[in-house]
Amino acid sequence: MEEQVRFFTGKLKFRVVKKLDLYPHAAATLVQSDNADVLVAIAENREYKNTKNCIILSTDDCLKDYHYLKAEGLIFTKEPHYLPVGLVAEFTDHSDNRFMLIEERNYNDDL
Amino acid sequence: MRYNKTLRNNNTIWSDTTSHKQQTQHTNDFNIRFVFSGDEVYNIGRRQLTLYPDQFLILNKGTQYTSKIDSANPVESFSMGFDQAFLQDFSNSWQLNERKLLDKTSSRVHEYDFSETLYPFKGDMRFNVQHLKDYMDKGVHNEMLINEYMHHSLLNYYTIYDQEIYKKIESLKFLNRSTKVEILRRLNLAKEYLLSNFNQNISLEDLADHACLSVNHLLRTFKQAFHQSPHQFLMQTRLTRAKLLLKTTNYPINEIVNLVGFECPSSFIRLFKNRYEITPLKFRCSL
Repeated sequence: MEEQVRFFTGKLKFRVVKKLDLYPHAAATLVQSDNADVLVAIAENREYKNTKNCIILSTDDCLKDYHYLKAEGLIFTKEPHYLPVGLVAEFTDHSDNRFMLIEERNYNDDL
Repeated sequence: MRYNKTLRNNNTIWSDTTSHKQQTQHTNDFNIRFVFSGDEVYNIGRRQLTLYPDQFLILNKGTQYTSKIDSANPVESFSMGFDQAFLQDFSNSWQLNERKLLDKTSSRVHEYDFSETLYPFKGDMRFNVQHLKDYMDKGVHNEMLINEYMHHSLLNYYTIYDQEIYKKIESLKFLNRSTKVEILRRLNLAKEYLLSNFNQNISLEDLADHACLSVNHLLRTFKQAFHQSPHQFLMQTRLTRAKLLLKTTNYPINEIVNLVGFECPSSFIRLFKNRYEITPLKFRCSL
């Protein structure tokens, strides 16, 4: 994991933003590109094939994007489901890069 | 915004913004009702419920009810109706998942007849319904997507039902399960009475009377189920609704104090500050 993080921070000039639990018991380090356009989560444990990295696409409406991407013929590896961070759907590209479509939700605001 | 949309699978969605309305009707389908601003009074049988933006209301198929809106400002109401076939499909797939996950064969939802009540409109349910409403308000209607939203709203409702009914039944300290169910049914009567009349002076005797429980019994069981006393619950409701008014209206604070049923501004300010760690005025300025 350290090596992966160094690859992103050293070579690609990413910044470490924070550590978070993407899934329960799956700690990940979040790195961000210089211009804040791209977020990559690097997980401690191998979870999906050989990839430890996961590219995060932020959205303000996960269900809508999920629906339109699906209509485009994209196959999702995980349908939209609820996690502590919000609503998340997952897909991979042809080279097994893993993408997470995340709609972050703030559950603390009661209204 | 006013529209009334029936999808090809007979699910319905309508939205209406009005200041005055009174109608008596039967529900054709299982319905979830919301208001996004103001309040709407529902009479179901002998019960009178007032729906506010922090709650939603479930109406079963075939329920006769009267709904009334009478307010100075327009009230934005929103409703989702679920066709029986859609519900059946959903419930089959949900139980399948549940069985796989928990390895048991119970059909947990809608085992009891008191599902027709107010539930907290929060968390994922709020996000999903808000997205659906925003989408509908734009006037573009992709039915597949609408059904996707409705499917998820139903999923969220099941989760909330589980927390509000099953978990509460479990938390009551009685040996007999049917006693637990009956007590929770009565406690729900008390809860919806508090939620609907939060701005009135409610005495414990009135409340106990309404729930058909003795005062002692009410206090003890209410605390077991909701982890707070009826008084604390009432204060919390008043504060949440005061916060909503601070956020969405420009009423002066003194007015809000009266609207949510506090007797004097100073106790309101103190309680508000205790709970949210900010004074009402500062909260409003920070928006």
